[in-house]
Amino acid sequence: MILSQNSGIPIYQQIADAFKADILSGKLKQGEYLPSIRSLAKELRISVITTMKAYELLEAEGLVTGVQGKGFYVNAQDSEMLREQHLRKVEECLAEAMSAARIAGLSNKELQEMLKILLEQSEER
Amino acid sequence: MNEKMEAVLEVKNLRKKFKEFELKIEDLEIPKGFATALIGENGAGKTTLLNCLSGVRLDYQGEIKYFGKYVNDEREKPENQVRESIGCAGPSGYFLSHWTVAQVADMGELLYEHFHKEHFWKLCDDLNVLPGGKWGTKISALSDGNQMKLKLASVFARDTKLLLLDEPTSPLDPLMREKLCSMLREYLEAGQGENTVLFSTHNVSDMESVTDYCVIIEQGRVVERGFVEDLKEKYVLVKGEKEDLEAARPALFQVSESKYGFEGICLAENLEKLAGLRVSKETPSLFQISVAILKKYTAIA
Repeated sequence: MILSQNSGIPIYQQIADAFKADILSGKLKQGEYLPSIRSLAKELRISVITTMKAYELLEAEGLVTGVQGKGFYVNAQDSEMLREQHLRKVEECLAEAMSAARIAGLSNKELQEMLKILLEQSEER
Repeated sequence: MNEKMEAVLEVKNLRKKFKEFELKIEDLEIPKGFATALIGENGAGKTTLLNCLSGVRLDYQGEIKYFGKYVNDEREKPENQVRESIGCAGPSGYFLSHWTVAQVADMGELLYEHFHKEHFWKLCDDLNVLPGGKWGTKISALSDGNQMKLKLASVFARDTKLLLLDEPTSPLDPLMREKLCSMLREYLEAGQGENTVLFSTHNVSDMESVTDYCVIIEQGRVVERGFVEDLKEKYVLVKGEKEDLEAARPALFQVSESKYGFEGICLAENLEKLAGLRVSKETPSLFQISVAILKKYTAIA
């Protein structure tokens, strides 16, 4: 896990993202316990409260469950629900792009054209 | 404090009056299982508070509850193991200066049930208290830094549940500060939520990576407290151009201006009052939060 002090992304967010990637990729399996907050803090050389906040974030997203005195374990991942979450995210981002386009005075056709070009570019890569 | 959390120390209406200074703490809780930093200007009352908590000073009014149950006389009963469970280190000399390092070990064994001599020697070695290892060296011959390391070794060589450290970092070099941070994290981990550290410090930046909760005191009063991650959401660091300063000022908690612009701390709840101004917003470090709060409450102009 690589944590950056000056990326502008809070440390707890970076930790949560790293675990999220491991959970979604299946590297961390259902029922598996995450390291204890204090041992993770020790390993990452950060404060306990920061790791705790990262875990609470994962819990709020439904990825893990916290058990008093035992720690946090990985939940069964409902792939349908995850896909749903991602779709919602795509919609939100597109809606944001649409409102930015409106401010910039872009027509619908121009916006579609722009998306098409970006898609083609990302395919080439 | 979070309702799920327990307090290892609960202070109620603590008062200690001096000629020109009064420590007055209505209520204060130190969360169990975390590291808490006590921050404040020189003379704010940090050492007085720590001395009341550690029992070095008993001439105060008010109540201090230890480990969720022991109040006043209860803490003196040997069966409650309060003294045995607390480790203290600070700048004042509680080792006699003509003692040798070996005598410090003997005294540790004499005074405490759970003092591990082997571990003490290992810590002295790890911390390089005596380069060359002459255990007959007198304490008075040690530098301030090495005296502090010796005090830390004698505290970490015991089985404790609570460490009260007064300015442990000030005589230490950067490597030792880093080492102390690691030792504190190891201590917290080993306790699995039962071990707590309370330390006072002026080296807020050096200790930020091991600070979970912080208590800021000024002129004998607690002026802010909270978990660091919560304070970083409560306060926002804003920077702006000079021409926007007067418009921004009423919304700012504290502000410093320079020739070219201003930098200040804004309460997150007041951020909307800055709408329309060209200001940048960042998450402040604990150091930046502490400085803003101290500047706000300081008596020094």
